[in-house]
Amino acid sequence: MMIESDPDHPLDPVIDLSGLTLRRGPRTVLADLSLQVGPGEIYALLGGNGAGKSTTLAVLLGFLAPDSGVARVAGVDPAVAPDQARRQIAYLPESVALYDQLTAHENIAYFMALAGSEPGPDIIDAALDAAGLQSEARTRRVGGYSKGMRQKVAIAMAVLREVPVLLLDEPTSGLDPRATADFNALLGRLKARGTAILMVTHDLLGAADCADRIGFLAGGRIVEEVRPAEGIDVMALHHRYGEVAAA
Amino acid sequence: MSPIRLMAANDWRLMARSRVAQLALLMLLALAAVAALTAIAHRDHSNDLRARFQAQADQDFDGQPARHPHRMVHYGHFVFRPLPALAGFDPGVDAFTGSTIFLEGHRQNSANFGDVRQSSLLARFGQLSPAFVLQVLAPLVLIFIGFGLIAAERERGTLRLLRVHGRSAGEVLRGKLLALAGIAAVLLLPACLALAWLTVSAQAEPVAAVLLTIGYAGYLGLWVTGVVTVSALTRSARGALMALLGLWAVTTILVPRIGSDVALRMAPLPTRLETDIAIQRDLHRIGDSHNPDDPHFAAFKAGLLARYKVSRVEDLPLNYRGLVAMEGERLTAGLFDRYAEAQFARQRRQAEVVNGLALLSPAVAVRSLSMALAGTDLEGHRRFLRQAEAYRYTIVQGLNRLQAEAVTYVDDGNRNSDPEAARRVRIDPRHWHDVPDFTYRSAGLGERIRAAAPGAAVLAVWLVLAAGALGLAARRLGRDL
Repeated sequence: MMIESDPDHPLDPVIDLSGLTLRRGPRTVLADLSLQVGPGEIYALLGGNGAGKSTTLAVLLGFLAPDSGVARVAGVDPAVAPDQARRQIAYLPESVALYDQLTAHENIAYFMALAGSEPGPDIIDAALDAAGLQSEARTRRVGGYSKGMRQKVAIAMAVLREVPVLLLDEPTSGLDPRATADFNALLGRLKARGTAILMVTHDLLGAADCADRIGFLAGGRIVEEVRPAEGIDVMALHHRYGEVAAA
Repeated sequence: MSPIRLMAANDWRLMARSRVAQLALLMLLALAAVAALTAIAHRDHSNDLRARFQAQADQDFDGQPARHPHRMVHYGHFVFRPLPALAGFDPGVDAFTGSTIFLEGHRQNSANFGDVRQSSLLARFGQLSPAFVLQVLAPLVLIFIGFGLIAAERERGTLRLLRVHGRSAGEVLRGKLLALAGIAAVLLLPACLALAWLTVSAQAEPVAAVLLTIGYAGYLGLWVTGVVTVSALTRSARGALMALLGLWAVTTILVPRIGSDVALRMAPLPTRLETDIAIQRDLHRIGDSHNPDDPHFAAFKAGLLARYKVSRVEDLPLNYRGLVAMEGERLTAGLFDRYAEAQFARQRRQAEVVNGLALLSPAVAVRSLSMALAGTDLEGHRRFLRQAEAYRYTIVQGLNRLQAEAVTYVDDGNRNSDPEAARRVRIDPRHWHDVPDFTYRSAGLGERIRAAAPGAAVLAVWLVLAAGALGLAARRLGRDL
């Protein structure tokens, strides 16, 4: 079923952050951050180093608890029930962690089994096809993979999870332009499946290419939000983004 | 498959593909197999040898010709302690104490006062045996295989991935525990086979073998818990390895070694020479049968004359020399016993100090438990010494009684000047045949279990503490990620 998000009448948000504040020592990392992502929506969160992007993901994954405010993932508060919240999330980290001694197939089968599903080899192959990993590499141990190949294994895993939320941390950082285009197409398919996608990235052009909304994060709060579909001047945005990031 | 078994199975698969893990495991299994085979062969060979020597010694004693009984007192007799069946698993202190004693009149067996029997020294490194492999080397292999179980996953980033896939910190820890416990079970396997073999071939008590297995399973379980806990609490795999190696060196090598020195200082044993001098001094004090003015023997003689209502020792119905020999033996044996018991008491004090250190070192606790259950601890050796001394006393007093009853005082006095008297004092050799052979009675199972209980209790305390630390690690792991 295709789900079309209507920006003016969003469905109930699958990712819902309201008034999140998180301090680390004297530093306020998130300052009253509010953000909602509906089903079938791609939200790109941009920001400079230390803006709070990864912290936002850590809160959603239940690895950090906010000092105030509430985060909800498909209705579950990760600070209260982290394991339950994580079962709703597929997560693609910037640096993909895999077991080097296992093949791509074995890595995927293992993590999927841990998540409670046991896809057969054909289904895993289909996911790896979708992620664009060459078939001859699939039976090799991932210890010899490039960063891009590892990224593709993780993408295949995220695709197979079939969960309502996908969190992406710099998803295209290791990919070549062709693979990036394939990845964006894949995101489009997940979006159509109704997955709420939140990506944190430095790549404005990439974000503008695939996101429904782009939020600029600075000092722990969203200082500007744009909708690429409404027509934006990417170069102007790029300059402004640079200013935001510098701020 | 449950997530915990899944994680354990994945770790086993990773270990199977790791050269380091393969090598460590194979080396230890080979070593354990060699240790089991050599320890069992050594035990069997020693027992064969001892049985043969004992038979030879018995035959030599029985085969002595007609002699003066006192010559037989000084001819002496060898006794051998047979090794318990489970010595093939844990030889304990046998290699240090020896198991052969020469018994002779007027002197207690010299083994009682040997310097080598400083009991704390006996707690040091042992020979290659299944027990030694499990006590010292198996923890090292568990460390090398397990130090990165969580710490390396954290460094690699896969730990976070496990959590992202919905597995709780507790589940991750239980999965890792199961994985390393599986390795510990493999390490325990050769020892179990050795115990089974000793139960079948050497009639070791199955209960003792099972208790030994449980004891060592608890000890390795403790290391499994410790390794996983440290791996969970440490930021890096390298840090975990260093911390665990330090823990192993302190608890398995240093504490038992330092414990020996502490025990020596707290309850020093006199040297053999000091003991000999002290005994000689006391011997002169309690009485000299050859000195007519010695007050004790003067009183003894007067008492005999009064009892038999005679005025001269020549008129006594029994050979006075034999009676004096019996009295002398009674006095010296009592003196030797007092010294031996004092020595035993000091050794026990040393053992208490060393066992007290079991609170700092589970290796000391399991060693004490293991030797007690195998019947190869110092208490078993003391038991042998006491039985040997009792046997010596019985033989010597029996021969002295023969001198008193079967040899006349006059003949005894003239045996060096009168050939006929010399012939008459040599009594029939069948008397030597009547002397019963020495049979060592080892400690019963109940007694050995009681002796093993303190070690088991300390291990149990360690296990409870380790479980507490693991709970702490689980909470911290849950917070950290």
